[in-house]
Amino acid sequence: MDSLINFIGHFHPLLVHLPIGILLFAILLHWLSKKEKYVSFENIVPFTYLIGALSAILTCISGLALSTSGEYDETTLFYHQWLGILVAVLSIAGVYFTKKKKERFLQWVSIALLIVITLTGHFGGTLTHGEGYLTKGNLTNKLVKTKPTITNAQEAVLYTDIIQPIVEEKCYGCHSQIKQKGKLRLDGKEWILKGGEDGIIIHNGNALKSELYKRIILDPLDEKHMPPKGKPQISEKERVLIEWWINTGGYFDKKVKELAQPTTLIPILASLQNNSSKPTIIEEVPTNDIKAANQNSLNELTKLGVTILKVANTSNYLTAKFFTVVKTNDTINNLLKTVSENIVWLKMPGMNFTSSLANSISFCDSLTKLSIEYSTITDNQLNEFKKLIRLRYLNLVGTKITLNGLLQLKGLPTINELYLGQTSITNKDSLMIQKTFPKAKIIFGNYRTEFLPSDTVILKAPLKK
Amino acid sequence: MSKENKKIIKEATIATTEQITRSYFFKECFSGMGAMALGSMLQGCDWLGNKDSFNNFTDTNPLMARAPHFIGKAKSVIYLHMAGAPSQLELFDFKPDLLKLDGQDCPQSLLEGKKFAFIRGVPKMLGPQAVFKQRGQSGAWISDNLPHLATVADEISFLKAVQTDQFNHGPAQLLMHTGSPRLGRPSIGSWVTYGLGSENSNLPGFVVLTSGGNNPDAGKSVWGNGFLPSVYQGVQCRNEGDPVLFLKDPAGIDRDMRKASIDAINEANQLTYNEFKDPEIIARMAQYEMAFKMQISVPDVMNINDEPAYIHEMYGTEPGKASFANNVLLARKLVEKGVRFVQLFDWGWDSHGTDLSNAVDIGLINKCRSVDKPITALLLDLKQRGLLDETLVVWGGEFGRTPMQENRDGKTLPFKGRDHHTEAFTTWMAGGGIKQGSSFGETDEIGYSAISGKVTAYDMQATILNQLGFDHEKLTYNSQGRPFRLTDVQGRVINEIIA
Repeated sequence: MDSLINFIGHFHPLLVHLPIGILLFAILLHWLSKKEKYVSFENIVPFTYLIGALSAILTCISGLALSTSGEYDETTLFYHQWLGILVAVLSIAGVYFTKKKKERFLQWVSIALLIVITLTGHFGGTLTHGEGYLTKGNLTNKLVKTKPTITNAQEAVLYTDIIQPIVEEKCYGCHSQIKQKGKLRLDGKEWILKGGEDGIIIHNGNALKSELYKRIILDPLDEKHMPPKGKPQISEKERVLIEWWINTGGYFDKKVKELAQPTTLIPILASLQNNSSKPTIIEEVPTNDIKAANQNSLNELTKLGVTILKVANTSNYLTAKFFTVVKTNDTINNLLKTVSENIVWLKMPGMNFTSSLANSISFCDSLTKLSIEYSTITDNQLNEFKKLIRLRYLNLVGTKITLNGLLQLKGLPTINELYLGQTSITNKDSLMIQKTFPKAKIIFGNYRTEFLPSDTVILKAPLKK
Repeated sequence: MSKENKKIIKEATIATTEQITRSYFFKECFSGMGAMALGSMLQGCDWLGNKDSFNNFTDTNPLMARAPHFIGKAKSVIYLHMAGAPSQLELFDFKPDLLKLDGQDCPQSLLEGKKFAFIRGVPKMLGPQAVFKQRGQSGAWISDNLPHLATVADEISFLKAVQTDQFNHGPAQLLMHTGSPRLGRPSIGSWVTYGLGSENSNLPGFVVLTSGGNNPDAGKSVWGNGFLPSVYQGVQCRNEGDPVLFLKDPAGIDRDMRKASIDAINEANQLTYNEFKDPEIIARMAQYEMAFKMQISVPDVMNINDEPAYIHEMYGTEPGKASFANNVLLARKLVEKGVRFVQLFDWGWDSHGTDLSNAVDIGLINKCRSVDKPITALLLDLKQRGLLDETLVVWGGEFGRTPMQENRDGKTLPFKGRDHHTEAFTTWMAGGGIKQGSSFGETDEIGYSAISGKVTAYDMQATILNQLGFDHEKLTYNSQGRPFRLTDVQGRVINEIIA
């Protein structure tokens, strides 16, 4: 029986549109029919009212069936229900008065219907979309504002500061004051502990046995997966946090520092903290538009063996790689100058550098990435690169560049990756270099793998424990 | 008319009639007229909405470097495939609860409705046969079988809940690399070369190296070009001795002569292509050109003899010997020279426990010892050369192994081993814009099934393409009347592991 009622209830969102449309149309026809031009409409007004009334009655029945699910806010439901019934009653009155041709009564009925239908519809909207759905912007906008900032994750109260905002963002839509799908509310400790129609949802200390968590990790295509398909999903980070919250006992008042923290959690907790200390990111490819580079120059360079092409189909910035060209001539150097503004990445491993090549490169205003590992570049030639104000990646592995040579680039604080392996510059200079390029991650390389006796031993039997 | 002329005219007539035979006529009629009719019916209507998709094949230079859809983090890929499927339960997926169940009968609930390649009846559970520790700041679980890799745990993103639906090596490898368990689809390296071409005009875009004594079970189709023009297939190099044979010109033929003869052959081929428009002709022409250039470029790139001693120590390489380590070092050299996709297959990871060499507590450890150092060295070496950020390293097998001990034909095997397992296994990615020191996906207490963060071969493929700058849904090629793509109708970019 219950499932039948449920089934009928599910038709309410479909049926509800019929009385609204048909009755409004009936009212329109009725009013128009008073004009001479449309007087013939009079004949179909009774029929339209009749169909409208029938659909209103069906809508009421299905609406009552739906309300038994108990997922809705009671006060709003009360208004919606009784106003809806009033619509049905008024429309039946409308049928009666059109039949009896009581024009004056019919006028009042039509005005009343117009008002009542509007109100019922509005309350219906409130039930499905939540309080104030008409005036507020979209849901996400609203939520960005309410996200609290955490300055020290260890001092934060796990539930209120970390878990609740997730639940609020991803679950309140269907499980809070406005709606209680599955008879479940999540907007308060007592509701969460009470659970939904299938019983309690949190087994403290065991996430895998807790319905709240199990639903999140179900296959996204599973009917029972939460949040439902199409709604914003729980992210991996959030999932780990919720799991940890339940596994550590599901406390509502304990601080993060009071709970055992597995190592995997530390980066996640750190990522929750206020991001103001995050380093500013220098774009690898500038975001502003640029005119396409001269196609003739590109064709010429390609013919000369330079792999020069757009960084992506959608961008006019270029990457130029010199894999088969180990020495450039004046033609190439000059051609490079004609497309210099567009080049963002330059790769010339093992290049035989000349001062005119270095000069050409110094015109590449947009250049962010320069790989000249194992090239013959000298300190003097490197000095030309002072002009590359966007440079963020510089690979000097295996070159003859000296510390003084490198420090010539001190005007380029944007550098954030610096590769200095197999050069005369070593670890002991790192402090000085770091001071000159404060944002840079400096890689001296010189990595080795350890020698382990086991590496070359071939086992013939299991190892002893 | 002279006799010779008559003969020539007769030959020409035969050649022409051969082309306009009845079947040739019908074929032309149907495809030609049909296409014309269809084309006019669909005029101006982009009926698949695939505006951005591109057929990348150009008939001038099919290997020309091209730009991807969007800016990709990775410029090249090194894919390390451990053929035979390594046991996640002895390497990365630590299950202390499985140890407690060691030797007990497998519960019926895990066997009902399931099919295994070799397990029959009720097998016993088999606890982890390795000692696990958490490594690095990320706390990744890596067993003592991989002591070197453990030191670079913070560079890696693990995928702990990879799933497949194929429990035999061949089909599972094909699924992993071509997006279909059946033969006939292009491999991921071919797709990438088709999309990006080759950055170094003297080298192929897609190179394959094998080790372990055997080719992978799926055969060469795992690096095949499928329906893509064959110029995009993986170029397999020999694993011992000279990587490429016949690089020297034969006696009496100098470089100019060779060039002249290739030019002449290609001119003839060009004429045939103009007539028939068969892309395979272009492929053949490009291959002649490539072979000619490789005569010069290969001796330099494909030679690890001249690498400094500390590099050999780091990788554990021994020049001249067939080994995975040598292949890994070659892979680094190739990527450095602009090769887009280097595919390594190492055979011998099929740890069933039927003999010593495939026991999880003996043979598997030996396999680990042969790859642990080179892989670790690869990550470190790429990093110190400033290449790790632009090189995506992928490691994995074709499926996982069961938490149960294999009982082939219902008998107890002489060694400890595990059967093929499709429901959960571990792979990893590093570099190329992948998060450092992260892990995605989880398995249950005994590592039998995935419980969260499930991913498939399609998802891995979508992610690899994404890192290279491709929307996997838009990298398509028209074959048999419809656009095909690597991920077919599936695939989700695993954003959780992308930095």
